[in-house]
Amino acid sequence: MSDHDAIRALIGKSCLTLDDSDFESYLALCAPAYSYCVRVWSPELRKDMIWLEHDRDGMAGVFEALPEHLQRSGRLSRLATVATIEAIGTDQFDVVSKFVVHHTDVEGRTQTLAVGRYNDRVVRIDGVVLLSEREVALETRDLGIGLHVPL
Amino acid sequence: MVARDQSSWDKMPDMPAGHFVSGLVYTDPDIYRDESNKVFSKVWHFACHESEVPDKFDYRVFVLNGQSLFAIHGEDGVIRTFLNVCSHRGAKLLDQPSGNARSITCFYHRWAYNSQGSCTGIPRASGYDDVKKEAVGLREVRTECLHGLIFITLDDGASSLAQFIGPALDRFSDMLTGQPLEVFHYNQAVLECNWKAWHETNMDLYHEFMHVVLRQTQVNAMPMEDRKLIVFDGGHGGSGGDLKAAYDGYDGFAGRGGDVPPLPGMSATDFRFINLFPSTAIISRGTVVRIDTVTPIGPDKALLEMRGLGVKGEPVEHRRIRQKHHNQYWGPFGRNVPEDMVAAESCADSFRNQAGRYQIIARDEKMAGQDDAILRAFYSEWGRRVGRDPGAPVK
Repeated sequence: MSDHDAIRALIGKSCLTLDDSDFESYLALCAPAYSYCVRVWSPELRKDMIWLEHDRDGMAGVFEALPEHLQRSGRLSRLATVATIEAIGTDQFDVVSKFVVHHTDVEGRTQTLAVGRYNDRVVRIDGVVLLSEREVALETRDLGIGLHVPL
Repeated sequence: MVARDQSSWDKMPDMPAGHFVSGLVYTDPDIYRDESNKVFSKVWHFACHESEVPDKFDYRVFVLNGQSLFAIHGEDGVIRTFLNVCSHRGAKLLDQPSGNARSITCFYHRWAYNSQGSCTGIPRASGYDDVKKEAVGLREVRTECLHGLIFITLDDGASSLAQFIGPALDRFSDMLTGQPLEVFHYNQAVLECNWKAWHETNMDLYHEFMHVVLRQTQVNAMPMEDRKLIVFDGGHGGSGGDLKAAYDGYDGFAGRGGDVPPLPGMSATDFRFINLFPSTAIISRGTVVRIDTVTPIGPDKALLEMRGLGVKGEPVEHRRIRQKHHNQYWGPFGRNVPEDMVAAESCADSFRNQAGRYQIIARDEKMAGQDDAILRAFYSEWGRRVGRDPGAPVK
């Protein structure tokens, strides 16, 4: 499999595993030094905002706590399209993907919840490509009743 | 009989007046119109924080009672508010939520206004015989600032902001003014519920049990009887003394507060809140402040605006930690606020078609613990202003 194919599969799996609440498999896609943040531009404040920020352990803690929390019912579906892959040396890549997240409620009605970009840093460790950094650059700023689950 | 038949379900609760609220207050269109005319057209309403318009000509657009308005930092240093409407044909003047405008020029026919609301330019004015610039200024709305909070009222004859709020913000003055604050977080959400259903989540301590994060950090952090609540004339109410949080109780929150200086007058584990009638809540968790305002859009729809504030000019690392503290509870991915939204919409769903008939606000813990006194004070003021009994608002 080419680097580009492997990276596309990695981005796709990151969506599928979160959609399926298979958090163990999601974390298996992440490098030990993984960092995750949701960044949003505020036209009201005219500055960037951070809405969520975790390292790998922090993400694991979020996932572990999820079953105890009150969440919006239904399912999320993340669809990402890789737009660019830029090699940084031999074992690092900057990857930009456009994504859309749909929410399907328990009656089966689907609505668009969010759109934005994944700005990912991907690294190759022992021949396997892994997510090293993910910045979720959200364009959507009204998430309705909110989320506990990272996008 | 344990379960109830329809007549029992419909019957007014056998409780003292003020201890229950009819579900019609959330759904009835006539009540909604009364709220618009008798509450939101009359009260002082939180518009924004002064840090959102720090420099001359900075403006901030917002909505109240369905009307677009903007607050602008004038050339003379005074912050004023105007309807966001051109005097000429009614076009909206400012279409961005914030910005800086030395001159406010309508896109439609290029009529221009200054930061004091005067009309300063009418293209080809010679074509008008009976239009004078002096007579076509913007509609100014009364604006006052207290502790950095900018309030406006649509009622030209309203009493002063100080009279409206009374002493309700006194316990917040050190925190809000001891160091300059600034807004670092803003988000909004349109909720499928009546505006009061949201605001109740801020006034109702009893629902702490809904949140796992509060069950683990707050419910047992201090004896319930030591919690002091307070209500004020005008329907305001909040914590009378500081409540405590034990952040070590929740995984990932351990050490919270030891890593950044608390806000003036607070310790890192203090929790203080005030609800200002009708629809603003100010909540501080030691190191960070949240201000939320809910604005009606319709009987069954409300705009929620959430702000997070930290210390202006603080080191980047402190700001990052304060953001984290804010987001842990109150961010769109937080452990607390998204759950409140679920609750507000869930109740609305029951009352929408009168499946739910009444809600009970009868907890009496002598102004301690999880007393419903703040809710009762709110509905007492609501009833006074709207001219309806919250328990039987429709005859």
